[in-house]
Amino acid sequence: MGKKDTSVRMSLQTLRVLEVFLENPTQQLAGADVHQRCGIASGTLYPILLRLESAGWFVSQWEFIDPSSAGRPRRRLYRLTSAGLRRAGEVFASFNRGVLA
Amino acid sequence: MSQRNQRSMPPEFDGATHWLIHHAARRAPQSLSSRLEEEWLADLESRSSTLSRLRFAVGCCWASMVIVSEFPRSRVAAASPAAAARGFVTLVDRNFGYFSLRSATLFLIAGLHAALFYGLITTLSPTRGTPAPPILENQTLEDVPREKVSVPESLTSDWTITVPKPDPEVPPLRIPSEDAATGLVKEPTEPYSPPPTPVIPALVVARVAGGPGGGFPDTADFYPSLSIHLGEQGISIVRVCVDSHGRLTSDPTTVQGSGSTRLDDGALKLARAGSGHYRATTEDGQPVNSCYPIGIRFQLKK
Repeated sequence: MGKKDTSVRMSLQTLRVLEVFLENPTQQLAGADVHQRCGIASGTLYPILLRLESAGWFVSQWEFIDPSSAGRPRRRLYRLTSAGLRRAGEVFASFNRGVLA
Repeated sequence: MSQRNQRSMPPEFDGATHWLIHHAARRAPQSLSSRLEEEWLADLESRSSTLSRLRFAVGCCWASMVIVSEFPRSRVAAASPAAAARGFVTLVDRNFGYFSLRSATLFLIAGLHAALFYGLITTLSPTRGTPAPPILENQTLEDVPREKVSVPESLTSDWTITVPKPDPEVPPLRIPSEDAATGLVKEPTEPYSPPPTPVIPALVVARVAGGPGGGFPDTADFYPSLSIHLGEQGISIVRVCVDSHGRLTSDPTTVQGSGSTRLDDGALKLARAGSGHYRATTEDGQPVNSCYPIGIRFQLKK
């Protein structure tokens, strides 16, 4: 496996997704949670999540629950990696966080 | 949190959203298909209203198209349920071949347009219900002999053109009449016989070709100095087009060179400078526009 390409095309929606995760970098969020917090539609949200995961900014795993006892299916949870946290911090530092206000 | 129990959704809409998500997941890369379907179905449960669930499902269709176009060569953790259960992470690298989704869509649209155009052409063409055309017989007409026009070799001398004059006694062409009731063409009662070849008298036009007239510039003024120094001599023939007032109507051109480009250029300059001093060609004494060659001789004085 060659060197992973960690570059991500930064759009306003991507910055909003990153901002949601940066509120608590250790939290694990499903796509539905991200949608509730930033309001990005599913057609845009899931490609962004896959894009960030492909670039190594996110890792994802299935939720550890028993669907029959929880009464709902397990969700896919995303979490910032250390590299993703560092890169996202650099991105927001370059933008000075003012553009999202 | 189970919002599924809180919503009141018709079963047909629920089936439609599940079908859309299933369809969208199947369009995604194969290694991501099962993961995305399970993920999207789980996230669908967080939506309560019918419209929100429908929007979510349609958005998943759009997301699968974006993923297909964006991730053919990227490496995304597929993490299918079986692989995730074993703790493995699979990296996908999919090649979609020669045609992308966009190209396939373009070909499909072009094909539909072609089929529609063909259908319009074949259904709207006036081939139905039209009567068969009447049978016509062809008749071969003899060619009318033409008189040759002779043009003299020397264009600077007088010459004439003979133009055939129309004969007023030529009978009019017989056109077969059409029966208004039947729509059929009636043949003429008399057999067709070609008219006799008329004797056409020649029309003579007295034409006097033009040339350099009064006030035309002197050749010595346009003799190139380098040619004088080198002793170059010769005749350059230049074609000029002149109107009825002796002015050039187009730029002169060299018809036959003298062997020296310098002398030919000097001849062209002389021909241009002579505009307005040409003698117009006359036909029956009337000046007309014409083109004719003139010879310009460059000769050193001894």
